[in-house]
Amino acid sequence: MTASAPERTARRIRCRHAMSLLRSPEFSLRRVVVAAFAGSVLLLSVSAGAHAQRVNDTVIGAPTAPVVPGRAVPAIRELAIDERIASDYGVGVGDTLRLSAEAGTIGEPVIVSAIVQRAADPSEVARSEFRVRLHLDHLQRLIDSDDRVDRFAVAVRPEAGAAGVDSLLARINHVAFGFRAHASADVAVESSRTFQVVDRFHRAIGGITIVASAIFLLCILLLKVEERRRAIAALRLAGLSRRTVALSVIAEAAVVAVVGSVIGAGLGWVVTLAVNAYYQRVFRTPLTFAILTPRIALFAVTLSLVLGIGAGALAAWRLVRTRPLVLLGR
Amino acid sequence: MRAILAFASLRRHPMRTLLAVLGLAIAAALLIDMVMLATGMRASFRSLLTSRGYELRVTPRGTLPFDTEATVGSASALVESLRAHPDIERVSPSLGSTVQAQRADRARSAFVLGTQPDLQGEYTVVNGRAPLGTDTLPREVIVNAVFLTALGATLGDTITMSTGRSAQLRLSGTPTRVVIVGEGRFLYVPPGLPALSAPLAAVQAFLGHAGRDRISLAMASVRADTSSATANAERTEVVRLWIEKTHARVTAISTETAIVQVEERLAYFRQLAIILGALSLLIGVLLVTTLVSLSVNERLGELAVLRAIGVPRSGVLQQIMLEGFMLGMAGILLGLGLGLVTAQWLNAILRDFPGLPADLDFFVWSAEAAWKSLAMLLVASTVAGALPAWRASQMRVAQALREEAIG
Repeated sequence: MTASAPERTARRIRCRHAMSLLRSPEFSLRRVVVAAFAGSVLLLSVSAGAHAQRVNDTVIGAPTAPVVPGRAVPAIRELAIDERIASDYGVGVGDTLRLSAEAGTIGEPVIVSAIVQRAADPSEVARSEFRVRLHLDHLQRLIDSDDRVDRFAVAVRPEAGAAGVDSLLARINHVAFGFRAHASADVAVESSRTFQVVDRFHRAIGGITIVASAIFLLCILLLKVEERRRAIAALRLAGLSRRTVALSVIAEAAVVAVVGSVIGAGLGWVVTLAVNAYYQRVFRTPLTFAILTPRIALFAVTLSLVLGIGAGALAAWRLVRTRPLVLLGR
Repeated sequence: MRAILAFASLRRHPMRTLLAVLGLAIAAALLIDMVMLATGMRASFRSLLTSRGYELRVTPRGTLPFDTEATVGSASALVESLRAHPDIERVSPSLGSTVQAQRADRARSAFVLGTQPDLQGEYTVVNGRAPLGTDTLPREVIVNAVFLTALGATLGDTITMSTGRSAQLRLSGTPTRVVIVGEGRFLYVPPGLPALSAPLAAVQAFLGHAGRDRISLAMASVRADTSSATANAERTEVVRLWIEKTHARVTAISTETAIVQVEERLAYFRQLAIILGALSLLIGVLLVTTLVSLSVNERLGELAVLRAIGVPRSGVLQQIMLEGFMLGMAGILLGLGLGLVTAQWLNAILRDFPGLPADLDFFVWSAEAAWKSLAMLLVASTVAGALPAWRASQMRVAQALREEAIG
């Protein structure tokens, strides 16, 4: 949800030194991609008519475009903006903006070369911030971080396998100083802590709801069965066995539970559509917030069936242990 | 008398009554939890922000306090300008960064906060004392309990603090020896994060070029000369606008604005609380309506007898509604206890959120909100019995007696 700067503040690492280390034949890596993430905001001045507005942006510097040999760096640098800035401030490709690392300064002109669609990243969904992308050297110069980067993305040769990745991590960390290598899976687990908490919260609420549903179902079935005690007493007196009566009650409970859960699953599906439409609009993201998978639907129906059979069995037991004449009230 | 009859009617079916009360208790517990969630975050965050008496937070333009690594330069001039304003009582500047702390063979990254110890609103001293702001050597620091555990340190220990690492030289950069003089509770630091605080000038010096005359945040306290909260809030807003107009590099955030911005980020929980709270209320009403309806259908003969011996329609109506009220009351009393226990459990889950201050609670008991919601459930469960009660009071006595006698 909100990762505070104390947690996110990262010491940058010397780029050239680490790159030369990682690119040594010893590691046999397929690809090393450098990304510098600047937590410091840059200020982007967007001229909109007579007004000059300021937008605070988180900036990522990365080699997003190939460097053409022999081509000089243009006098006015280019950047890519995300579609939020484009729509909120009416900025398009080819527009000139001003970019600075310090509020209150004029900044340097930059040209919008692309508009980028934001990925459906859960870790940033609640942060309604803008984002622009610069070339790494441009960002390093702007924030005065010379040869430093925040992280490297390293692609391992496919034939290395999981064991190869572990071995590589150990070897890199053995020689590294001032930085540390992590497997992507570990980073994903750490960065999804927010969603693990949300997941645990949802499970807890789900548990409470299941207990409430079970009691509700049991209550209703007991009442339904007791309401028909005279009819059942008559059937018993007519010769129906306790087993037949009990089975009929349980079967009825099972049918009620299954039909109820199927209707509930249908209702749940409609609710997921509403939830997704609402939160995708609120957070301006293509992220799917609620999803009803066949597995979840099957779980709901199965759980309802189990609860229904359990409640039916209890109601049937209370019914069949009472003598028919007592049920009739005689 | 009617209350006794209603109570006897409920006692006659103990299993049914028990299940109904349990169902209502869970609905009440969920309702009270959701009310605590919907109102608690705001109350807890407000309490956190106002605990040290600062109404305004001045941050690098467009950012929330310590939400990014952004800092404000020429901080001395900014702070002096703020202090010169007649309505500003005191200003507490601070600078945050990450340092490497080392004691013997143990080393950990830690969040360092530079503050003016006599003005700071970032921590409270638990043991020892706050560091002195004078130029004593070695520098003094106050640390949190996590820091002490991580480094196995105690008060009085000397540790090494460095601001960076040189990969080429394989050395930690600019090491400085500091002595731990106190243990503090850092109000805005997430749980599990080692943190320490030193005088602002010392931290600015540690950070070298990156910290030279820079701050991450300045907290300002506005003079409260009147007893009217509205007048004080208006004065705070005037000062806030003055800061933003005078200093283009910063954003001034009032407590209210900060609460609104955090609520925007955590809006999901508030909305979930409202939806689940409404569902709890609906489930409670449905449960009582179903229960009382079936109970009335089952007792038509008995109610017809009551009518036949002279009990008025209103008497039957009141007796049946009393049953709904008693069920609701029992469920709510049980639900109150259950709700407080589950709130602790759910709060413990949500407090694991990364990046939130350790002292922020999601579920906070508010007597007024809780009683209002439970009263709503009680009224709803009583009214839920009204429809079946009205139907029972309108029955034709002779017809009901005949049908009951024939069976």
